[in-house]
Amino acid sequence: MTGGGFRAGIPVGRLALMAYVLLMLALLAFPIGLLVVASFQGGMKSTSGLDGWSLSAYAAVPPDYWGALWFTVECAFLATALVFVVAIPAAWGLVRGNLRERRFVSALVLLPDSVPSITLGIALLALFVPLGLSNSFAGIVVALTVTSLSLALRFTEALLEGVPEELEQAAVTMGASRVTAVVTVVLPLLAPGLAIAALFIFVQNLVAFELLLFIAGPRATPISVRLFTDIVDRGVLPQAIAMSAILVYIGIAFHTLVAMTVGARYLAGSTMSRKG
Amino acid sequence: MDEPSEIETVDGRAIAGRNHRSGIAVASQEPVLQPADARRWRDRHFYRAFTLPAVSVAVGTTVLPLALLLFWSLVDQRSGEPTLRYYVQSLASPYFARTLLTTIVMAAGVTAVSIVLALPVAYVLARHTLLRSVLVPVISVPRMLPFVVIGYAIVLLLAPYTGVMNKSLIAAGILSEPVFILFGWPGQAIAFGYAGVVIAIAILTGVFMTVDPQLEDAAVTLGAGRLKAVLTVSMPLAAPGTVAAAALIFSTVVTSYAIPVMLNSRTPYMVSVLIYNNLYSLQERHLAYAQAIIVTALAVSVTTAAQFFLSRFGSRR
Repeated sequence: MTGGGFRAGIPVGRLALMAYVLLMLALLAFPIGLLVVASFQGGMKSTSGLDGWSLSAYAAVPPDYWGALWFTVECAFLATALVFVVAIPAAWGLVRGNLRERRFVSALVLLPDSVPSITLGIALLALFVPLGLSNSFAGIVVALTVTSLSLALRFTEALLEGVPEELEQAAVTMGASRVTAVVTVVLPLLAPGLAIAALFIFVQNLVAFELLLFIAGPRATPISVRLFTDIVDRGVLPQAIAMSAILVYIGIAFHTLVAMTVGARYLAGSTMSRKG
Repeated sequence: MDEPSEIETVDGRAIAGRNHRSGIAVASQEPVLQPADARRWRDRHFYRAFTLPAVSVAVGTTVLPLALLLFWSLVDQRSGEPTLRYYVQSLASPYFARTLLTTIVMAAGVTAVSIVLALPVAYVLARHTLLRSVLVPVISVPRMLPFVVIGYAIVLLLAPYTGVMNKSLIAAGILSEPVFILFGWPGQAIAFGYAGVVIAIAILTGVFMTVDPQLEDAAVTLGAGRLKAVLTVSMPLAAPGTVAAAALIFSTVVTSYAIPVMLNSRTPYMVSVLIYNNLYSLQERHLAYAQAIIVTALAVSVTTAAQFFLSRFGSRR
């Protein structure tokens, strides 16, 4: 293999290292595999043997779980669209204007990421209750938008720096306004990169949990919060396990999609933060 | 001198026009009115205007709520007078202090164990492209799940009577009765450890991928064993990334709320549970705000200390 072996002779150290790595990864994969297996056994009744495989847990998933899942998708989608509406002009201004406050703005939008979710959640709740935004679709979209702003801005800034300013200037020289030049020349060049960034941010919004716990309520329940309140109030339900397994399939689908579009190495090294 | 017609907007033309009439002497007395300066000033504000939506979103939904939180934590909930009583009350309470201590111990322990367990895995994944592309889903899929799903998986694994681990250990005759580790600190530590190891492997793999393997090979050529080469060459180069990963894991665990409530125990180990209870069950909102700020200060200071260390460490190389 590549990477240079251990010293000649029986590679005991190397074999032990490989065994350790495989063991660790197996331990990490085991609980999730268990969840998927349990979802096909109608709950947690018969976890031994292959008999009793059924889809009953999936059939028992109540409509309000599907509603919560769809609600989460809608919020995540809208927040992803909104964050780019805000981030693309900002990134363009910061990169092309070469503004002195660039570092300050980066630090400012990074603030929601560096403050713990629980604190930001409580703070947003304190602000949203008088505004009537808590326990609402709009409140959740706003919360998701602000927490993904730093990621969107960083992605867009990096992409913009790869597009030569001369292209824009050429369009302006030929009579286009600067905004037209950006929309017709720069944005199409950014589009593939932005699509990947949007995919990352969408997934992050889809799995957001601890922050939303404070803002969510009976009228606005993302699926993660719903599963959480169910396990706290009613214990482990078969239909909740089935829904968790469905979320695992969605995660695997996203992983496959990202791995196919950008290559798996980005997934290993990416600093996509996951809080709670 | 610039032609006035080059400047499109009204204020630009006015400034340029005045310069044109009054000549060079006036222009040198008032350098601010030079057309080039005016254009630069105007350009800067043109670009700045585009950052306004992002800045106002960040200010309106982060700076403002956090400022309100800080303000209310310093105001008496009933009388509305300024007070430090919520901070004094929190820090003087042995219950809060003990919980804060167990929180810190838990976070520090989970961080240390996760990093140690993850380092060899990350090293191997970074060095072996094939292995990495086959096994990376194990690391990336958990990060694409809401954490509550991991919580369900841990419950299925460790639950006292129905959990797979207890059942198989009893079936194998190793245990005679189920162990109740799920709803105590070991269960929480295992759940946090799962998240910590996943984060640590993901970040450290990226870190080791940036460390040139040829440096290590050179050390081996010069007579060092492979293990010694890793420990003395690659590990120090990966140290800044390791510190960053540790800071991230620590600050995540310190303020984590979901796992402590899901796997709750009779005595809370984590301070976030106290905050939640004060906020919702006990209706002591301002006390909860003060405690949230204490925990935030703890988490942020650890992150800042790590960044300070990184900047010192980074500048030396």
